[in-house]
Amino acid sequence: MRVLIGGIGYSYLRDGSVGPAVAAQLARESWPAGVLVEDLSYGPVAVMQRFEDVKPPFERLVLVGAVRRGREPGTVSVSRWAGPLPDETEIQARVAEAVMGVISLDNLLIVAGFFETLPGEVLVVEVEPQDEGWGEGFSPIVEAARSEVLGVVRRLALAGGVEAARA
Amino acid sequence: MCFKNLPIEFDAHGKPRLRSGESDPFATSRAIATSTDPPLSHDKIEELLARNGHIQNVDFDPVTRVAGALAFHAVADLSEGKIVEARSVATLFRGYEVIMLGRDPRDAIFITSRACGVCGGVHSVTSAMACEMAFGISPPPLGVVIRNMALAAEFLYDHPLHLFLLAGPDYSEAIVRQTNPELWERATRTPAPHAGLHGYRTIADLMTDMNPLTGKLYVEALHMTRVIREAYVLLCGKYPHPQTIVPGGMSTTLSTSTFNEFYMRLAQFFDYSKRVVSIWDDLCDFFYDVNPAYKRVGTRPKNLIDTGIWDHHEAYDARFENAGAWGDRRWATPGAIVDGELKTTDLHAINIGVEEFIEHSYYEGWDGGRFRTDPAGNPLSPYHPWNKQTRPKPTGQNWREKYTWDTAPRWDRLSMEAGCYARLWNTAVARKIASNPYIESTGQSLKLRLPAGSLPEMELEWKVPEVWNAFERNRARAYCLPYTALVAMVNWVTALDFMKKGVTKVSTPFEVPKKGEQIGVGFWGAGRGWLTHHLVIEDGVIANYQILTPSTWNAAPMDPWKRPGPYEEAVLNTPILESFSKREDYKGIDILRTIRSFDPCMPCTTHIHTDERVISREVTTCACGVDE
Repeated sequence: MRVLIGGIGYSYLRDGSVGPAVAAQLARESWPAGVLVEDLSYGPVAVMQRFEDVKPPFERLVLVGAVRRGREPGTVSVSRWAGPLPDETEIQARVAEAVMGVISLDNLLIVAGFFETLPGEVLVVEVEPQDEGWGEGFSPIVEAARSEVLGVVRRLALAGGVEAARA
Repeated sequence: MCFKNLPIEFDAHGKPRLRSGESDPFATSRAIATSTDPPLSHDKIEELLARNGHIQNVDFDPVTRVAGALAFHAVADLSEGKIVEARSVATLFRGYEVIMLGRDPRDAIFITSRACGVCGGVHSVTSAMACEMAFGISPPPLGVVIRNMALAAEFLYDHPLHLFLLAGPDYSEAIVRQTNPELWERATRTPAPHAGLHGYRTIADLMTDMNPLTGKLYVEALHMTRVIREAYVLLCGKYPHPQTIVPGGMSTTLSTSTFNEFYMRLAQFFDYSKRVVSIWDDLCDFFYDVNPAYKRVGTRPKNLIDTGIWDHHEAYDARFENAGAWGDRRWATPGAIVDGELKTTDLHAINIGVEEFIEHSYYEGWDGGRFRTDPAGNPLSPYHPWNKQTRPKPTGQNWREKYTWDTAPRWDRLSMEAGCYARLWNTAVARKIASNPYIESTGQSLKLRLPAGSLPEMELEWKVPEVWNAFERNRARAYCLPYTALVAMVNWVTALDFMKKGVTKVSTPFEVPKKGEQIGVGFWGAGRGWLTHHLVIEDGVIANYQILTPSTWNAAPMDPWKRPGPYEEAVLNTPILESFSKREDYKGIDILRTIRSFDPCMPCTTHIHTDERVISREVTTCACGVDE
């Protein structure tokens, strides 16, 4: 099975860097053949174009990053992404943001979703950030969630399905 | 004599000096001479709003399809079809000037790159140039050539985005059909003059493929950004924030393969350029034919400014005192154009003419500054970037007083616009570009000779336009595509010549001075035009750093003389040509076409207002539009 684990976020933005940091840590581990770990923080359009290129295509994608949604900081949530896509005006705005440099997990899903380049199974691991200011290292509450995030991503990558997160 | 408003005159040898007998030569209380009248005061506008139902506020917050967040306030007289008030609002404090203080000057190359999510490389190069001037070093010729190739590639990423993803949709079927059905109907029965070149039988066919997301031209532009991003990465390591730009040149390791791979990607832009230019020629001419009033959309005085870009490898030595000479030999000539007349191409004169004002911005002033003259002994205003200090002071928004985080840059105290079209215009009229097989400056036009691809070899000619407006900005942007590709080509050929001779050195060793005061400036440009970084180093660390970007110029607010900035002025001159029967159906497309024609690049705290709610969205992206 072809699986891609992708971290998304900005470097040196404290909790906002969870995605790239987790990807860097997981990339140092041993994985079965067919599982790749990459930092996908290089822009949704370029990532979408990478998905377009990969032959054979990835069958499972596990994305991880910090997303602020007003939950308790440090909350780790897992979901299967199945759309739906927003309206075309919103998609257009997200594409415009993407080509202008915005790195965003949501935008990647929308842009790659619209252009139909996402793998068949897309699993998303989000961490609610507390501190997205400039600097290295996570806030204590997000740091405390690091091992949970790593464990969830490993299980999702290997087993698939959001149920795997609870295993 | 190039200054009408600054108290600077030139001696018999052309050396600038302060006019004698002026007690406070740079006082802003002095009136200025301009070719335009001041707009109505805000008090007058409030009176009109209170008295007339047909006069209404038209606010765009944010202006979408621009880089980052820009808000725009306008007051429209819907019965007269005109705009009576316009205010451009940059909504975020950028802060790079503050972040840079006390740092090693080399950090600026990597940190200031982050000011933009599209054109990080231009900030890196501008910063490296400021460092080289301060350190007293210069790159070897091949280092200059490789920089030119890399930064041409970056612009080849930028131009298609503007033409088909950001401004382009304003001319698409999806928009035109909605805002001007009569125009769409006419487009369906208007043959496209360049059908043989771009393949679209009618203007309507062309507009349909400009539709966002699904139009072939939109999707193709996305693809072309990928092609050129790959070329850029060959030289810069990564995109958008390069890793190989250093003071004294580049740190790229070059081989024959590098050049082959670069050319394979660059060559795709020759045919693409031929088609893009013909598309925009057809679109602009169609609008003018249907309604000549479109010539007034986004019009303003022909006041344009640019530092020039892409140095000639035999000329650039990074020394300020020689800037006039190496500036004149750039592949894009520096220049300040006032009311359509090229006033100067001298980088010294361009530099000393710049001031930044903060009367309508969320900053407090500073006292005098430390430099009375530049390193060549030319007089400097206390408002010049080398003297400017960044002192943020947020207050409430007030259209009479302070309303933006952008400053008001002025040249000779005039509102100037920056853009790659200024680069095109200066080069076309100055006739200073070095002899080469591809680009020719005629004094009234720029001839661009594109090699054959699938399409035959072709000469395109951009002519200085009779009118200056939103359409001509976009048309000129289209011509900047072949121009930029050919600059890359000229430099690619030069680079191969160096390689053939076994010359591979691309950088010069240097040391950061640890004692005393050093001063430097990078004169360069972004895809959107003007870019300068003014640097002061004290005992090895940055004591002052000022970034002036194209959108700082273009999004500028009113100045001390109550004259509007370029977006504001262009919107004030824009007629309302949109078709609507009810006021609530009014979309403001003519205003949006005007603003987007400048290709705004703003900071990114976006406040989205609807009637019912306010959504606040924060992102981190291109921040080069705002002063700090």
